[in-house]
Amino acid sequence: MIRFLVLLLWSVALTVHGAPYSDLSIHTGREATLLGPDSSQQLVVTATLPDGSLKDVTREVEFVAEPAETIRIDDVGEVKPKQNGKTTVTAQIGGLEAKTTVEVAEVETIQPINFPNEVVPLFTKFGCNGGGCHGKSGGQNSFKLSLLGFEPLEDFDYLVKESRGRRLFPAAPHHSLLLRKGTGELPHGGGSRLSKESPEYQTLVRWIEQGMPYGKESDPIVERLEVFPKECIVEPGAQQQLQVTAHYNNGTTRDVTRVVQYESNQKDMAEVSESGLVTMGDQTGDIAVMIRFQELVDVFRATIPLGAPVETLPPVRNFIDDLVYSKLKTLGLPASEPCDDATFLRRVTLDIAGRLPEPVESEAFLASTAPNKRELWIDELLNGTDYADYFANKWSAILRNKRKNPADKRGNYAFHAWVRQSLHENLPFDQFVSRIVAATGEIGHNPAVAWFRAVNKREEQLQDIAQVFLGVRLQCAQCHHHPYEKWSQKDYYGFSAFFSQVGKKPGLQPGEQLIFHRPGKAQAEHPKTKEKVGPMPLGKPMLDLDADEDPREELAKWMGGENNPFLARMLVNRYWKHFFGRALVEPEDDMRVTNPATNPALLDSLANSFVVSKFDLKQLVRTICNSQTYQLSATPNEYNQSDKQNYSRFYPRRLTAEVLLDSIDNLTDVPTNFPGQPLSTRAVQLPDDSFNAGSYFLTVFGRPEMDSACECERTQDANLAQSLHLLNSKGIQDKLAHKDGRASALTKDKQRPTEAKISDLYLRAFARPPKAEELAVATGYLDQKLAAVKEEEKHPETEQQAYEDILWALINTKEFLFNH
Amino acid sequence: MLNIFGESRGTFCDQQSRRNFIKVGALGLGGLSLPQLLRAEQQGGKGNSHKAIIMIYMPGGPPHQDMYDLKMDAPSEVRGEFKPISTKVPGIRICEHLPRLASIADKCVFVNSLVGSTGRHASFQCMTGRSHNNQPPGGWPELGSALSQLCGDPLAVSPPYVNLSPKMQHTPYNFGKNSFLGMSHTPFSPAGEIKSDMSLNGISLERLGDRKSLLRSFDRFRREVDQSGMMHGLDSFNEQAFDVLTSSRLLEALDIEKEDPAIRARYGKGTEKAQGDAAPRLNEQFLIARRLVEAGARVVTLSYSFWDWHGLNFKLAKENFPDFDQALSALIEDLHQRGMADDTTVLAWGEFGRTPTINPQGGRDHWPRVANALLACGGMNTGQVIGKTDRLGGEATERGVHFQEIFATLYHNMGINPNTTTIPDLTGRPQFLVDTNYKPLHEVI
Repeated sequence: MIRFLVLLLWSVALTVHGAPYSDLSIHTGREATLLGPDSSQQLVVTATLPDGSLKDVTREVEFVAEPAETIRIDDVGEVKPKQNGKTTVTAQIGGLEAKTTVEVAEVETIQPINFPNEVVPLFTKFGCNGGGCHGKSGGQNSFKLSLLGFEPLEDFDYLVKESRGRRLFPAAPHHSLLLRKGTGELPHGGGSRLSKESPEYQTLVRWIEQGMPYGKESDPIVERLEVFPKECIVEPGAQQQLQVTAHYNNGTTRDVTRVVQYESNQKDMAEVSESGLVTMGDQTGDIAVMIRFQELVDVFRATIPLGAPVETLPPVRNFIDDLVYSKLKTLGLPASEPCDDATFLRRVTLDIAGRLPEPVESEAFLASTAPNKRELWIDELLNGTDYADYFANKWSAILRNKRKNPADKRGNYAFHAWVRQSLHENLPFDQFVSRIVAATGEIGHNPAVAWFRAVNKREEQLQDIAQVFLGVRLQCAQCHHHPYEKWSQKDYYGFSAFFSQVGKKPGLQPGEQLIFHRPGKAQAEHPKTKEKVGPMPLGKPMLDLDADEDPREELAKWMGGENNPFLARMLVNRYWKHFFGRALVEPEDDMRVTNPATNPALLDSLANSFVVSKFDLKQLVRTICNSQTYQLSATPNEYNQSDKQNYSRFYPRRLTAEVLLDSIDNLTDVPTNFPGQPLSTRAVQLPDDSFNAGSYFLTVFGRPEMDSACECERTQDANLAQSLHLLNSKGIQDKLAHKDGRASALTKDKQRPTEAKISDLYLRAFARPPKAEELAVATGYLDQKLAAVKEEEKHPETEQQAYEDILWALINTKEFLFNH
Repeated sequence: MLNIFGESRGTFCDQQSRRNFIKVGALGLGGLSLPQLLRAEQQGGKGNSHKAIIMIYMPGGPPHQDMYDLKMDAPSEVRGEFKPISTKVPGIRICEHLPRLASIADKCVFVNSLVGSTGRHASFQCMTGRSHNNQPPGGWPELGSALSQLCGDPLAVSPPYVNLSPKMQHTPYNFGKNSFLGMSHTPFSPAGEIKSDMSLNGISLERLGDRKSLLRSFDRFRREVDQSGMMHGLDSFNEQAFDVLTSSRLLEALDIEKEDPAIRARYGKGTEKAQGDAAPRLNEQFLIARRLVEAGARVVTLSYSFWDWHGLNFKLAKENFPDFDQALSALIEDLHQRGMADDTTVLAWGEFGRTPTINPQGGRDHWPRVANALLACGGMNTGQVIGKTDRLGGEATERGVHFQEIFATLYHNMGINPNTTTIPDLTGRPQFLVDTNYKPLHEVI
């Protein structure tokens, strides 16, 4: 808050006394040479404030060029050539100056236009080749362009040759159909995309005038994209001009600030103009702007601080807290208080063991005075089998342990049991992955092979492995270059080649399979180039393998390697989401440069510690749960109520379908009977999806059907059907009124006083004793019900009903339905 | 005015400066999402007219050549026994057993050249527009699920997607299934499993009231700890559920006893008995559908009777056509009379057509080559026939209309561009509402 006020004072000072800046600099991103009459250069002027923070002042400074006649500079800092020569540009504000040199060359020579480098990016910039328009397969109104310009050769054909060349008119370029449609001069479904005055229009005209060249083979190819600044901290409502440089393979550079396409990842928090000016909204948090040029992407990140004082933070318990707090300090976002013991106990037990703590556990924990009791409880949970049950449930869903046919039963049970056992024994995660990826044999001997039956097509196998374990959504690259990533179709088919030699034979039982390596050269055919692509780990050169080497072994080796840039990051991100409800990268399995983490340093450190621990899953859970960040209260302070991504407090989330059902069973003491399972089987222990069909509860509360590798299949949204079911279903009422259920037992219990019974219910439901007023409400309700009936003999029935009502009410409280 | 600050005002605003109050208020607003607020306000005042679709699914596939496209020039083993009659629109002639539809033909669009049927004996294509093969993980969403996602109004009295169909014996006829959009966009199916949750289960209304007030006393957990909107949603759905169980406006919408007897008579009765292995021929469902749209539903689907007539085609037609004729014409006229015709699109169709040649049992068999659909209202240019079939009614010869073009038209009528709007599937891939290049029917828009 103090910082915020001071800033206000400064801005007053600015108008009265001139700039309060201590330093000024101009950025051009390269040695600024303007080649030819159509070139331009964006300048970004940054001022340093006395406290060391930076501010974009490009639109505030006054530009002076000396000599003045070689260039033009407009007030947004864009430089255009007028005459050949060298010029010094000075930016001035409040007595400070910064200088840079701009050289103009060949202003009299119109440069030959290269189609892929200069024309295609315009189609991307104006959205012509987007998936909703001409870029979709089949095009739009019979005019097609390749998606986002990834196939310039095809685009050239579509534009220049297709339809008997009717789209371009070299004799009178302005009359070309392309331009008349694009400017909206002729009716165009996509409206007017560019104005006749724009430089982009000029570029297109020039290209047509030049006879629509494709470009020479010797023309440079863009290799790298660089945005300035890469990241910054900006006040709410402030602006930041970006400058983007393309680096070519011949060593030249070009300012492409006005050619690239910009996309903000949070349009409600930041908008970005076509010329690269980012305007922040007034919400606090992080935003990212994706910059796309040809096949390349880069990203600009900004943090918009709240600016509240962050003076006292709860004690740091491990490195997670250091990194989270560091972010909170940058943001000026104070953290909530640590949560109390009861809240912690319920939270961590639900998150690790997928169940509510038992009253004895709660009593012991609450009574314990051990300073490290939270740590001890985490260890106890990790050593118990409930942990393995709960996480096996999680992994079974994304590894798609689905009962497609009755014959899948044995395999599904075996696979689930194997996952559970691996988790219980804490099999290092790299080995867990390796056993699935490179699984061979028969289900009875090696249950991991069941994965290849559940996911039985080659493209699904490679896509699932990439998404579940590497956090790469490679499927886009099956048909075209990945729109947000560097992955090309060649990368896709290179990855596909790993699965090209998966052999299948009938297994021991009908409907089962034996998986083996089919000797032969692993390869996959690129559908466009027809090239036979060999196995290629992501971002790595092609492997040369012998016919008898199983390529999946090599894949597993690469995935589990210490330096694999994907596996550990993906896993820690997935587990972070499990415990915090919001992944560092969201969605958790779509990790890419253009989808940055809200706290990159934290993601790196977590991944690193996971690798150092030799992929120890239990250790990761321990690290996360022992952090102060995990143990913060959900109750907001006056600043952090709207925080959804910086972990300044715990974000409550509804119990999952399975856990909620188990919790209700536990509270009412009436287990649900699942067909073919022992009566004590809890919903989190169910091996596959086949129980959903028989349980309306599990279906309506969104237990996944195990159809996809995405955890997003589990829906947590509220709806009317859920409310009706919980408030009024026969199933719930039967549990409440069951003759051997909780309400009945409490009624029959003549030993304990009413208060003790209510306390017992509170301990079960919330892991805490009731507050005085809650106790009063409950006992008052019982008294009132009993007083209403006259005859003594009706008491047991009335009393049981009153307990049923109390149980019903507890189940329907948000405190029960949520983990908080 | 809505109290969007809720309890937070009391919690920490007392000792705060005005400046902080504004800040906190603004943050609170950011979390509540403006559309939610606007909808809440809308509930308070303005009218309820909104765009919607009523889809009547005719399980089994109705005989296209005996309804709107009679083939009088065909040989007798194809032609059948029905005669065409003239309609309100000169030049359009439909079956003599559909006289009421004939009298409002100016309000209908008869699509006689529906093509692209996958030939499966299932509702899937009518509900999703898609082929059953090669679905994305999780499965294609039904029209209602997609519209629930795109324009569902959580504060409306009715859920956005309501399916009135009962469970049908031939399971592929059933719909309302989960898709990649998830459980929360599956239809509210009052005839399905939820039915038993909608009336009190073993407790009295009085006891429910006691429970409700007990819950209110216990449920002190602060809603503002949740910024996901989940707790908010839960509370409003709970309110809606209590409403269903007590003085339900939703149940009222479902209850035609509340309707004027003259209007009910206009829709006719039909029969409650399930026909064949499909649905009952329940005319009142057309009326319930209209009432649900009035209560805020975006899509109401219903299954009507049984049309898989491999035998006794003409006998069954004479039983079914009059009821169908009465219910559908009543719905269309009713929507017009209530000023809902511009906003509510009506569609009646099945999964495929029937064979031109009448089989020895006097029935017609499955014929995926061509089928029909009837569209009405929705602000469309009505009073026309789209498409032609050959002399035997076996092939579309002019203007073949694909299932997905019907879907594109429905989305268009909802104010949604089907060719540019996408919804992400479970892999994050944006999926178009209809396949590339299927456009709304230019004849009607």
